[in-house]
Amino acid sequence: MMGLERALIELLLNFVTLEQLNGFLRSPQHTATVVGCLIAVCGALLGSFLLLRGLSLTSDAISHTVLLGIVLAFLLMTGAGWEADTSSPWLILGAAAAGVGTVLLTESLQRSGLVRQDAALGLAFPLLFAIAVILVSRYVDDVHIDEDAVLVGEIGLAWANTNSHCFAHCEPLIITPEHPAAQATRQCVNCRELTISPRDERAEFVSVCGNCGVYSPAQAWGAGLLDEAPMLVFFPKSIAVMLVLTVLTVGFIAVFYKELKLTTFDAALAKSLGFHPGALSLALMALVSLVAVGAFDAVGSILVVAFFIIPPAAAYLLTDRLSGMLLLSPLIGGAGAFFGYDLARGLLFGIFPIEKGIAALNTVFGLSLREAWDSSISASMVLTMFLIFVLVWIFSPRYGLLALAVRRANSRRRFEHQVVLAHIHNHQGTPSHAIELRASTLHQHFRWTPQKMNRVMMRLRALGFVSLEAGSAILTPRGDAHVHAFRKHMLAVHNIPDIDSAQP
Amino acid sequence: MTERRAWRLMLALLALGFLMLPLSQALFGLRLTYTVRVVALGGSLLGALSGAVGCFAVLRRESLLGDALSHAALPGVAIGFLLAGRQLGALLVGAGIASWLGLRLVAAILRSTRIKQDAALGIVLVSFFAAGIALLTTIQSLPDASQAGLDSFIFGQAAAIIESDIALLGGIGLLVMVLLALFWKEFKLLTFDADFARADGLRSGLLDALLSTLVVITIVLGLQLAGVILMVGLLIAPAIAARQWTHSLEQMVLLAAALGAFAGGSGAVISALDSDIPTGPMIIVVAFALVLLSITLAPGRGLLWNQLRQRKNRRQLRSRRLESGA
Repeated sequence: MMGLERALIELLLNFVTLEQLNGFLRSPQHTATVVGCLIAVCGALLGSFLLLRGLSLTSDAISHTVLLGIVLAFLLMTGAGWEADTSSPWLILGAAAAGVGTVLLTESLQRSGLVRQDAALGLAFPLLFAIAVILVSRYVDDVHIDEDAVLVGEIGLAWANTNSHCFAHCEPLIITPEHPAAQATRQCVNCRELTISPRDERAEFVSVCGNCGVYSPAQAWGAGLLDEAPMLVFFPKSIAVMLVLTVLTVGFIAVFYKELKLTTFDAALAKSLGFHPGALSLALMALVSLVAVGAFDAVGSILVVAFFIIPPAAAYLLTDRLSGMLLLSPLIGGAGAFFGYDLARGLLFGIFPIEKGIAALNTVFGLSLREAWDSSISASMVLTMFLIFVLVWIFSPRYGLLALAVRRANSRRRFEHQVVLAHIHNHQGTPSHAIELRASTLHQHFRWTPQKMNRVMMRLRALGFVSLEAGSAILTPRGDAHVHAFRKHMLAVHNIPDIDSAQP
Repeated sequence: MTERRAWRLMLALLALGFLMLPLSQALFGLRLTYTVRVVALGGSLLGALSGAVGCFAVLRRESLLGDALSHAALPGVAIGFLLAGRQLGALLVGAGIASWLGLRLVAAILRSTRIKQDAALGIVLVSFFAAGIALLTTIQSLPDASQAGLDSFIFGQAAAIIESDIALLGGIGLLVMVLLALFWKEFKLLTFDADFARADGLRSGLLDALLSTLVVITIVLGLQLAGVILMVGLLIAPAIAARQWTHSLEQMVLLAAALGAFAGGSGAVISALDSDIPTGPMIIVVAFALVLLSITLAPGRGLLWNQLRQRKNRRQLRSRRLESGA
């Protein structure tokens, strides 16, 4: 881990200066946004496959188990006397294994036929969570795992939990009495023994070094003992963990894209072609578990589910292609994480201050709500993603509510036109012509209200399909052509031979 | 087709449940304080109610809907507090409204998009929960001290239950039971053959809404004890356990109520033995232990039974092969 971080920092230092990098990482907002975006990218990529496989809620099961895994690994590691940190690779691997284990367990429970899938998952969530909560409140007494951290994580503090890396002037400074910076002080050697003051004539003195010792680079710089500052970078652990997981996720999907696509859409075909859908889905679950554990520190064990489910669902409403989903969902998740930080600080999408909204509520309804807004960052990220989802749901050009309403209105209109045109076509030139087609009573034949009939007739006349002649509706030549074209089309669609046009 | 063993099990559970307090007093030296008695009573009442209602959720394959609905109640608690202060009634009404809105949102997503049920449930579950958390964190930064204990709705806090809550639980629980009994025939039909119910002229949309409302009411009543995350366990675990013992809906509902009451009461008693064991989670663990026992041991259906039958079949097959070989 340390080596990877070092290599990354060296790479970054080619583009930015040390001060810029440290300044960036030391800001809570930047670190939180970077961590949130990385979680969103991992979650959205993996979640897209989960969504298409109908396994979205498995991520929920995994995140609940992962809590139990973390707590157990934590207890084991502290019991064995190791330093247990939620970003330690062993803890992450152990907890992720627990996640995969539960998936397998619920699958086997379901395969036994005694419990259905929804019930098996519904049992697994609360049980594992309950055990974890009991363990936490009974045995764990640590800042990193308490009930609040379990719920919302500490993404706002991610910047403070760092590894320090030193790049230049890194030698620990040893100050000996001969060192030019050594400060000599005189110390009385027999004052206490003789209970005399140092001013007494009998006092004997030796010279000792007051600041000798070993200094780490940071301490030495702080004490002003160095002429040149050591090049220190404090790198947040969460960013490192999530970066590794992002690389793993992207790499996995890039390498196995074809296989994942095939097993997602047609598992049976994949199996008959010699792929291993089981192994791939296991690998997918393992990655989901790893990401859930890696994200635990930042967003807790429940809210992480949103990063897996909401962005892919929004992308699913925008595109029909898997590649499109894989591009759009990380973007949506990243936007959610980015604007989520602003929302927690009271700024919706970076422009609209929530305080004004609350103030408006207060004045309209006469409430006395406090207007200041300071909320959980991770929850706000989830809320922003949900808002984006709702926007997509309403405005998506293909599957949105608006598009749906327009499409429905259009087809209703088209249907009304066809019905009226067919009615006129059938009765035009027949003996019942005068009764069936009189404009003032036309609505009765369709059982419509006169108003609706009027609207439809207005539209048909505006289109030039129908005209009025002596109080009766008749087809214009244009309307006649339209009816014939439609009739021909429908006959062709249903593969019926056209009897009428065969006659001369 | 009621089965005798299910009745026997029910009787045994009830007897054990009634003996629970005196037994734990004698065996573990439990001190029967007022709180312990109230919490145990509340736990068993809630367990009975959610066991009975949960049967329908499990049989209609809506276990996860229960999970989503209980998470969705959280913002309602927070808004109820913001509007009316710390009054249990307001908090519960808020929770009920939020949970019901979550239900409608799931239905709307399913109706108007191609997103499947699991993802729709996940979206509603986690975004409502996030809204609740965001509101709670904001409330907690208020200078006013009366917000203390609001987050007990997340994990549940049994010790906060007082006698008036028991009365509320009992009263509304009774109402739910009466509704279940009144609409028994309709609910049964709706559960096992919704299409037939619709074809038969039942107002299935209305009945469906009524049944879902009963689930929402049960969840809301349980929030104080079990919390939004764990409530679904109490809703479905007794029903799944009861399902293993019987094929009749009447028996399943009664048995689930008995199992739920047992889990609720004994979970409360066990957690009273050690001050560090939270009550809600302990109840869930007991309920799951009952599920585990039922799945392994239930006659005719359980895992153990299946193993035995397989072994017997294998032996028979082998002996028959020997006979035909000779």
